Amino acid sequence: MTKLYRRSHFARWRAAALLCISLTAAASFPALASAEDKPLVIVRDIDINSLDPARAWCDTCQIYLSNVYETLIGLGTDNKSLVPRLATKWEANADQSQFTFTLDPDAKFSDGSPVEAKDVKWSMERLKNVKGDASFMMDAVRSIEAKDAKTVVVTLTGPNSEFLNILTAPYTGVANSVEASANGAAAGEDAATADKGEAWFLAHSAGSGPYMLAEYKPGDVLRFKANPNYKRSAVAIGDIVIKHTKDAVAQAQMLQSGGADIAMQIDPDTAKTISGGELSVETVPSYNFLYVALSPGAKDGGKLASKEVRQAIGYALDYDGIIEFTVGGQGKKIPVAIPNGFPGTDGLPEPKQDLAKAKELMAKAGAADGFEINATFPNMNAYGVDLSLLIQKVQQDLDKINVKLKLTPVEFSVWRDQVRGDGIPLTTVFFAPDYYGSAQYVQYFGMMEGTPWWKRAGGATDASITNAKTAELLTKVLAAGDAEKPAIYKEIAQTMIDDRIIIPVVSPDLVLAHAKSVTGLRYSACCNLLMNELGLK
Amino acid sequence: MSASSAPAKPRSFALPSHLTLPVLLGAAITLFWIVTALSVDLWPIYDPLDMVARRLMPPSAEHWFGTDALGRDVLTRTLHGARSSLIMSCAVIFFAVSIGSALGAIAGYAGGFIDNAIMRLVDVTLSFPPILLAMAVTAALGPGLENAAIAMIIVWWPAYARLMRGQVLAVKAREHVEAAVAGGAGHARTLIRHILPLCWGPILINATMDFGQVVLLAASLSFIGLGASPPTPEWGSMISEGAIHFYQWWICAGPGLAILSVVLGFNFLGDGLSDYLDPRRS
Repeated sequence: MTKLYRRSHFARWRAAALLCISLTAAASFPALASAEDKPLVIVRDIDINSLDPARAWCDTCQIYLSNVYETLIGLGTDNKSLVPRLATKWEANADQSQFTFTLDPDAKFSDGSPVEAKDVKWSMERLKNVKGDASFMMDAVRSIEAKDAKTVVVTLTGPNSEFLNILTAPYTGVANSVEASANGAAAGEDAATADKGEAWFLAHSAGSGPYMLAEYKPGDVLRFKANPNYKRSAVAIGDIVIKHTKDAVAQAQMLQSGGADIAMQIDPDTAKTISGGELSVETVPSYNFLYVALSPGAKDGGKLASKEVRQAIGYALDYDGIIEFTVGGQGKKIPVAIPNGFPGTDGLPEPKQDLAKAKELMAKAGAADGFEINATFPNMNAYGVDLSLLIQKVQQDLDKINVKLKLTPVEFSVWRDQVRGDGIPLTTVFFAPDYYGSAQYVQYFGMMEGTPWWKRAGGATDASITNAKTAELLTKVLAAGDAEKPAIYKEIAQTMIDDRIIIPVVSPDLVLAHAKSVTGLRYSACCNLLMNELGLK
Repeated sequence: MSASSAPAKPRSFALPSHLTLPVLLGAAITLFWIVTALSVDLWPIYDPLDMVARRLMPPSAEHWFGTDALGRDVLTRTLHGARSSLIMSCAVIFFAVSIGSALGAIAGYAGGFIDNAIMRLVDVTLSFPPILLAMAVTAALGPGLENAAIAMIIVWWPAYARLMRGQVLAVKAREHVEAAVAGGAGHARTLIRHILPLCWGPILINATMDFGQVVLLAASLSFIGLGASPPTPEWGSMISEGAIHFYQWWICAGPGLAILSVVLGFNFLGDGLSDYLDPRRS
């Protein structure tokens, strides 16, 4: 009895121990399994305004669209050359006003249906007609014809040698017209009001890119899963998560703690604090830049109507100091509001501070005693540059020629309303490319009728703001061949420098910080990050 | 032998019982910051807006609190920050006490509809979380120290209105007030001469205790970009700038210590005042 009891007692202990082992094993197997299935985590400030290809307009949108919606043409790894994507070949007529694209016969959307010319036509017309932020990319398009299921002919309103480059921008990605139309999307001329597809696009994707939308929680996560119907290249990582992490310090901490695999918005000062043998930190030149914008036409901006005053401001800025103070020296000077390395920028003189000349110009303009102007700016960090810090440095520099800045930090949305409304005499803001090509910069920053900064600078009320030569040269360059383009763009750049409405101050380098186990990470001029190039070792 | 020729006993020095160590410490800290705010321009220190050294330098003999991202001396900016923080807090407390006490006194004395109207307004205002209300008001008026001060006055006056009303209701029922009314004193005279002089104790204690909280709220508004505009040296905005450079801890340390000491100083002082003016609490 006693023996039996002892045996029974022992058996109970043994059973309990076995149960513990089994439970531990059961608990650890899923853990092992989940470690293997762990998604690749990218940390960044998710600034998404929409996931609708016709309405999205942000840096994270570029990443999302370029990985989910394929464009007709891709941008090569050199960030300059054009490579086939949905279009396997293309040809232009003699004056570059009509383009014919032949589609990849094997291209399929994520639902398995083939990508056809009607989808290309529908997507491009929808981008144009929805009149979202990126609609201007289709401004030059007169008509789009689906000649047959695999041939598209695009006719422009005039010659445009940069149209093929525009088609590398992620916003021109092609969506499944049948699926999207069935869910409220419209592409007709009344699409600005008739289209009801935006809400559907927030929870679904309808592209032919390497990834599909798995989940989107605003302000939290954007999750991708591999598109099983994507055959253009192998997709090494099936599950990728972009986790919303607002500031650079938090991104660096996530990376160091192993909570993230990639961080692309870390500023150079924070990058210096990243350590550990498992992490790689690489600094590469970027095409992003920050600039000071002067608007004589803004309320109380009259003092800036004098070109001498604007030129004096340009000479008063300490460009080396700005790069040192804003990005710890990890940036480049930029002569004109066109990224370094883009057509027309080779050989342009670097901007430099010349206080004597600045004072001389102020005296010539009768403004030696100086003046005070409002400088409202978006209180944010862009590409590693704290705009508050940047404008305080500008304030210190301009104080030396008696130009006093009254700084007012505001939210970006407030800034945008103000700059589009009454205008802001002096401000600082940023710009990033959507594709490789200089025309978009001329069309955005050039003092030609209708450009955004022409309007903000007061071109509509002050004829002296308009630079007829810029418009004339732009028409010429859009009809020119590849060999002539750089020289003409350089002439345009010189007119833009001379106008001194936009004064670029720094092109910050980009910090690519990632776990060493991640391979294939690179900065793309059009798309920021191409996930299908990523791998794990 | 006369009494005067008796050897004098050594007199022991003893502080009044309400002057405790925390109260003395609070008074010393408060005095330091008030003197700093009033005289910092005369001090032989750097200019708070000038780049005086390499950026992001850690604390050293030349720069005790290091330098910030624009190479400005953090200690200098911290000391200059006292001016905007303390002057604004003084203004906020003064106006909040004046407006709140006046309305509270009227509500308590008049009663009826006026009392109801004022106190419901107080209830509505107090139902909002202070930081949220201050953010909403500042966002509507635009960023800047003046607008932040207006926002904080809007947040703070109801507390004083409620406190003053309670005091007036308690004092109003006393016999000397009834005697004054029976003697023919008018409403204004009764309120000002016979009631209000007995109501100021708790208001004064509260105002002293609130001072530190006002400094904190002002710093919070500046931290989120709704207070002082750059490059004004202000503690909240300095901490906000320092937060970007997280690993350069000294940028936040100066203004952080300043806020800590001011809040602590005024709280100690408020406690002392409370013991002195309201012995029942001790």
